[in-house]
Amino acid sequence: MRFFLMIHLYFDPGLGAMIVQAIVAAAAGVLLFSKNVMYKVKAFFGLTKKADDTYDSIDIEEDETQEHDSKK
Amino acid sequence: MIQKNKAHQASFRDPSGYVFKDGDTLRRCIQPIYFKQYRQLKSSGFFEQLIKKGLLIPHEETTVSEEEIVITPEQIPFITQPYEWSFEQYKHAALLTLQIHKYALSKGFILKDASVYNVTFHWGKPIFLDTLSFDIYEEGTPWRAYKQFIMHFFGPLVLAKYHGTEVFKMMQTHIDGIPVKLIASLLPRKSKWNSTLFTNIHLLAKMEQKHSEDYEVKTRVAKLSKKSQQNILENLFDFIKNLKLNETTEWGNYYTKTNYDASAFDKKKQMVHTWVTALAPQRLVDIGGNDGTFARTVLKDVSHVMVSDIDSAAVEQNYLESRRNGETNMVPFVCDVLQPAPGIGFNNTERDSLINRLKEYAPDVTLALALIHHITLSGNVPFEKSAEFFASFSKYLILEFPKRGDSWVDSLLKRKREFIHHFDFYNVENFEQGYTAYFDVHKKETVPGTNRILYLLKRK
Repeated sequence: MRFFLMIHLYFDPGLGAMIVQAIVAAAAGVLLFSKNVMYKVKAFFGLTKKADDTYDSIDIEEDETQEHDSKK
Repeated sequence: MIQKNKAHQASFRDPSGYVFKDGDTLRRCIQPIYFKQYRQLKSSGFFEQLIKKGLLIPHEETTVSEEEIVITPEQIPFITQPYEWSFEQYKHAALLTLQIHKYALSKGFILKDASVYNVTFHWGKPIFLDTLSFDIYEEGTPWRAYKQFIMHFFGPLVLAKYHGTEVFKMMQTHIDGIPVKLIASLLPRKSKWNSTLFTNIHLLAKMEQKHSEDYEVKTRVAKLSKKSQQNILENLFDFIKNLKLNETTEWGNYYTKTNYDASAFDKKKQMVHTWVTALAPQRLVDIGGNDGTFARTVLKDVSHVMVSDIDSAAVEQNYLESRRNGETNMVPFVCDVLQPAPGIGFNNTERDSLINRLKEYAPDVTLALALIHHITLSGNVPFEKSAEFFASFSKYLILEFPKRGDSWVDSLLKRKREFIHHFDFYNVENFEQGYTAYFDVHKKETVPGTNRILYLLKRK
């Protein structure tokens, strides 16, 4: 366990930075929720456009056949 | 048999392992302290997935023993540093880091550090280098690398939005990233009204200040659910994705301001192409290569090409063009020849200077087209000095010399005002005298329809 901790703490994550994440996450949650609502409203009126850029989504495609930003 | 000539100068911070040179091959040694994580990352197929998606540099297991495991990553010809990236490149590096951490979380792992030096550009895209940057996720723990991400990625990007990409050069003086308090102080007051900037920077700075005297290191008291952590990541991702520079950096489009016509331009392209391909180089660097127009003429004939320019907007243009074309053998980067990136960090060796990296890269050919008048007349660098600079890393040099009478040269000279005669030395004879101290002239031709001479020089 000591070793495990040592890997973690080879740089100081900062106590303030660890505590603040709860508030950062709450604010982010509100924002994401409202964006999601807006998106649904827009989608209802057909106002959304589908983007296919590599950096459009944080989620990496799990699809086996599709390479992320593949070597061409 | 593996020979550990030398541990890499940048590889001492993380006890999980280190990088070393075995002859010319870079390898990574994993220490027993990290065996558990490494085996889990490997057996779960996590490494395989990331490599397959082109997010993580591929590696092979070279040797396995009880004392150490040695892996050999795919070799990268040239490492560019964050202070040499354009805005979009920096953004993509940040987005890649967030994508990888979120993916890791979904598989029960984390990115244990979010250093900007874990990313570089290879195959025409950002790629994650540090195979040992992962750890096992402990339920309910906040992201330990959160502050590092802000200092290395989010802060510099947000500051660049308001102050321009010159801000990235601050990373040269802050190897651990820009301090959060400094980021907060450099942001305009109105940034506090933005909830993402307020929480991730201003509030973070305040909390860090408040807990700065944390002698007991009570880090483990803070709790955060996985879902909350994902929200932070998603919000940062969306924010960074939509970040744009405030300054109007419409790319300079230098070539519309050339003082010669289209046919001379094409002729110059043709000459460069013929001269370069005759040398059959493996590696080429174009210094002052703007948006890569000339480098692009030889891209199919040279296996690896580096293109630098002082103008971050031109480098960005080149990067985006290269992505659109799916080019995989060109790396654009920002460089001011009069002030190349220095060696930084402990011993000044953690991040190597541009000159050392160029020497190691050892390009077969260097292009310096329409650059010498800027070096000589704007930078006041004598011919012998710039010749020494080029000779320090390149075997062949293709250099374009704009003579007096070229409108750019005349304009630069006029700006010298009453000192104009101090620059009377700027002529073909003196140029050749300075350069032949280090090079032999192999070819010398005037670009038809211009006041410019193209030289092919070979290092003595």
